[in-house]
Amino acid sequence: MATNLKTILLVDDNQLFLKMLSQAFKKSGIKCITAESGRHALEILSTTIPDAILSDYEMPDMNGMEFRQQLMDNSSFKDIPFVFLTYIIDNDLMLKGFDLEAVDYVIKDTPVNVIVSKLNNLIYTVQKQQELSKSEIKKAAEALNVKSIPTKSPDIKGFDVDFWHRPYQDIPGGDFIDFIQANERYTFIVLGDIMGKKWMAWFFTFSYLSYIRSAIRFCILNQDYSVGSILQKVNDVICLDDLLKDILSSLSLLMIDNETKAISYAGAGDLPLLYYQAKTSQLKQINGDGLLLGLFAGSVYTEQIITLADSDQLFVFTDGMIDFSDAGGNKSDYNSFSKKIENTLADNNSFDEIKKELFEPLLAVQVDDCSIINIRKTI
Amino acid sequence: MIKIVKDTTDHLLIEIEVSEANLGNSDLFKSQVVQLLDRHKKTVIIDFSKVEYIDSSFLGALVAILKHAMTIKQDIILVSLKKDVHDLLKLIRLDKVFKIYPSYNEAI
Repeated sequence: MATNLKTILLVDDNQLFLKMLSQAFKKSGIKCITAESGRHALEILSTTIPDAILSDYEMPDMNGMEFRQQLMDNSSFKDIPFVFLTYIIDNDLMLKGFDLEAVDYVIKDTPVNVIVSKLNNLIYTVQKQQELSKSEIKKAAEALNVKSIPTKSPDIKGFDVDFWHRPYQDIPGGDFIDFIQANERYTFIVLGDIMGKKWMAWFFTFSYLSYIRSAIRFCILNQDYSVGSILQKVNDVICLDDLLKDILSSLSLLMIDNETKAISYAGAGDLPLLYYQAKTSQLKQINGDGLLLGLFAGSVYTEQIITLADSDQLFVFTDGMIDFSDAGGNKSDYNSFSKKIENTLADNNSFDEIKKELFEPLLAVQVDDCSIINIRKTI
Repeated sequence: MIKIVKDTTDHLLIEIEVSEANLGNSDLFKSQVVQLLDRHKKTVIIDFSKVEYIDSSFLGALVAILKHAMTIKQDIILVSLKKDVHDLLKLIRLDKVFKIYPSYNEAI
């Protein structure tokens, strides 16, 4: 049976029937929202998406079939499992309903506990099917060996570079990380976040990564080692790609010069980096100035040079690190995350210790993919 | 998801009716506002006073709406943002992209 608390939307103009059925569902652990008409149900759907809809066929103004047609016309509602509730046993009507992808019919004379079991089974089956699909996609992705997160950190003389990444609900999402060692002198560090979540965002990470990797390679071939110029090229190409229309991404691009030990940085709609100065134990923000990739062609991305003294650190992260859920709902709080980092650095914690003490506990309140890269200048 | 509060000769004022603007409602929001833009062909002012939290999926939808508005030579204006929501927009420089006002009266 369904394990988590599931929600069902009951639509019927008979208030008594609504009350009786909703009580039976509640008793079996299913949350019920009731609507007395198709129009009322559409209003509810504009703020709440249930796990299934059980709707009467015969209703004034908008009958069940018309209500179902309206749902089918809306991409946000058409995939919610839908079951008709009716007194009428009419084969033509039932066929019409099945043409509108209704999952099943339930005759109103059916004992209430049987109706509840039927819906409970339906929600459970849909949930199982979704889990199976996710697992198939995961297997396919693993077989293709496509990765948007590297398996290990790069070795760069004079620096310790490490990262921590956790996908939301264990489903690959829109965050991507890459370390590109162009030659012995230059290493590029890439952290991006496709706006959106889960599979849809994940699929686009590869298009973005391909463009970013290509732009870096072309710039190296032309001996153009400007991260600002690379971001401009990536953005202009993405804005021309019709397949990426409306797919936006933040990006922090850094390049470590192993000879001068300088780090150049340019950002596209990314959160400010955190720079920890070991000598003063102070944490400062470093703000990029560029807009999200894919927003407007011709956008300018200014490059900044960051010079770390021994033991200084940089933290580069995506918005999942500052988002969390509490009793009051979901929240974003950059300043509170920054304060937590500052406190843990004051205790001289290593990145491994910070992962354990600060990041791992975040998973309990996580609402998005979490990614953070740490760059530490070694002595 | 959204409610039309005012329809004047040069703009529509709409209100977002949810407190969490996220992946679960971003597609619906986008399609509803795009429909309004296409039908009314005027500036859409979006009242955020009920929105306590906004995620990146919803921000993506908001930007897609702005891009659509620009292609039909219309505008999107955001008003009455809660501090946390406004701070997030500023952090990722979306305040440079959208016209943002503290209230509807200051926007018109």
